[in-house]
Amino acid sequence: MKKNRNVGIIGVGQSVYSSHREEVNQPEMIHEAIVEALDQAGITMDEVDCIVHGNMELFEMVHQPDLWHTIGSGAYGKECMRVTTGGTTGATLCCAADYLVASGLHDIVVAVGFEKLQEGHTTGGITNMADPLWARQLQTGALTGMTAEAMINEFGEDRAKRASMKYRIMMDKHAMKNEKAHRRLGLELDQTDDLMVNSPALVGELRMIHMCSQSDGACAMVFASPEKARALCERPAWFKDHITVHREESFYVFGDAPVLMTHKYAAQKLFARNSITDPKEQIDVFEMYDPSSWWGLDWLREFLLLENDEHLKMVENDEIAIDGKFPVNPSGGVIASNPIGATAMVRVGEAALQIMGKAGDRQVPGDVKTALASGFGGTLWTVLTLLTKDEPESGK
Amino acid sequence: MSKSSEDCHVVEGKLALPYQYFAGRTGSRFLISLRDEKKIMGIRCETCDTVFVPPRQTCERCFSDISDNWVALGNKGTVTGYTIIRYEEPHQPVKPPYILAQIKLDGADTPITHIIKGMPLSKIKTGARVKAIFAKKPTSSIRDIEYFRPSDDRPAFELGYTYDELEVGMSASFTKTISESDVYLFAGISGDFNPMHLNEEFAKLTPFGTRIAHGALPQSLIAPVLGMKLPGLGTVIPEITVRFRKPTYFGDTITATGEIIEMIEKRRWVRMELRWTNQKEELVAEGSCLAIPPMPMGK
Repeated sequence: MKKNRNVGIIGVGQSVYSSHREEVNQPEMIHEAIVEALDQAGITMDEVDCIVHGNMELFEMVHQPDLWHTIGSGAYGKECMRVTTGGTTGATLCCAADYLVASGLHDIVVAVGFEKLQEGHTTGGITNMADPLWARQLQTGALTGMTAEAMINEFGEDRAKRASMKYRIMMDKHAMKNEKAHRRLGLELDQTDDLMVNSPALVGELRMIHMCSQSDGACAMVFASPEKARALCERPAWFKDHITVHREESFYVFGDAPVLMTHKYAAQKLFARNSITDPKEQIDVFEMYDPSSWWGLDWLREFLLLENDEHLKMVENDEIAIDGKFPVNPSGGVIASNPIGATAMVRVGEAALQIMGKAGDRQVPGDVKTALASGFGGTLWTVLTLLTKDEPESGK
Repeated sequence: MSKSSEDCHVVEGKLALPYQYFAGRTGSRFLISLRDEKKIMGIRCETCDTVFVPPRQTCERCFSDISDNWVALGNKGTVTGYTIIRYEEPHQPVKPPYILAQIKLDGADTPITHIIKGMPLSKIKTGARVKAIFAKKPTSSIRDIEYFRPSDDRPAFELGYTYDELEVGMSASFTKTISESDVYLFAGISGDFNPMHLNEEFAKLTPFGTRIAHGALPQSLIAPVLGMKLPGLGTVIPEITVRFRKPTYFGDTITATGEIIEMIEKRRWVRMELRWTNQKEELVAEGSCLAIPPMPMGK
């Protein structure tokens, strides 16, 4: 990718994620993330040129939240723009911040994504996005059992269900290492059989335990020009590349043929232009937007361009564990915490923290040189971001 | 291209999305003070020397945390801007027309938005002094200040509208059901024991066929309008004329209405049109009066 100049991530801040944050209003919650991000970057708001703000459109029934969140975001008197691209919003915020710094318009940009899902009505909001003529009266919000059905057909019921549940339990074990995660259930593998049967069924074989949470929370990140990044941060996480791919608005509504997933298409393109021929070898950690453990499991194959049952084996052989061969979601992922407008940014932020060596108890062992982060949104929308420890040549 | 909409189907839908909003730490403290102590609280930023109402956790200007710097404010303030809401929508807090104003409370540097009542719409102006009227039943919302009304920068005695506060078209009324005992008491008060009012057998022989109230009894119902409502307390009535149109029977409900029809600038009096109607909307009596509105105290 041709780039005017490089952009480094020098600070990541997150509020605590929870199903209920009655003690703070929206600006106060955002403020928690902003303060932590600025602290980590070692700067004050005076040094910030621009704020990029985003969340899901009208999920809290609030119009233009960027304007009245100024009290918490620090945008007073600064450049400010709002971005809302559905579930991918957080990742798109990072893209926008990257563009704003790479272009030379600004030297330091803070992006903040938030959601306070307790205050709104998520399924109502998501249903609103469906095509009013063909789908709106039929669809089930964000819940779908199609992937479970497809995997059961492909791999057999027992193997598919066990792999999906193992993925779920491994994500919870990761979340237990992340003090900010929303759901930290303390699940153990010996609960697999019980959960496969007894967790409440939602749609088809998608059960409550498989599905991501509805969380309140905010994530903020500080993006800096190369000079500022080098001066302020010992080990910034550099943008290597990112790609956005999207297609039709509703699943299969306008045709019943299986579609090429945007995830796979994005991965193929991104890897090709960054000389990644063996993603599992060349990438050290992957933060995936995994809305359910069925999708997380299935999407490993899409993102990593795997074949047949390779992705199931990765889970069955513990490869995706924090200390495994290819760690996936050391943070616990979206299944653990899902403040939607922040969720995709948390993926990029967590990937950055791994490169910066600041992921705390969830830091993966070894030197993280390359990290991948995915964002996902409605309905087939992918943002895939590649971060590196070394400053990319392309932007120098 | 045809613009006909024949056979074009429209999908009707309605999405009702419930929501909550958490007031946050500073917002909650503000609401609790309002609800429990009827106190309006602001937060001061020492750096910017600014007192914010509504309060906020951070100063938007210098971004410092100011959430502990609470200051109590008075419940009076000055209007810094206003508008008059005249259209009607179900979501409105009160029935239009009403005044929506920006009010800078004494001791604050930023205004809050609220409703102003108790002031003729045409008399609202920037700089007007108003005071908060607290809700009788707490709602735990900003409507715990129910509304603002003109501040009593007047002395202790309550007064009606002064000449300058009155305008053509303002009206007020009073309604009362006239009972048999009202008529008997009025006979005693006035000494008018005319059998038309007191003797049913006599009254059967009159054109009315039954007893009727003294004309002055319904007429007197204009007194509470003029003396207590419009112009109100302190008013003097130098002249009143009445023409009776229909009798008032026992049990009739009479509404006396006064409306300002002329401002007599030279004398600073007003002329009012008077009307009395019964429960059948029949005109019982009509007339007019001159009214001397109350003078501002001290003059």
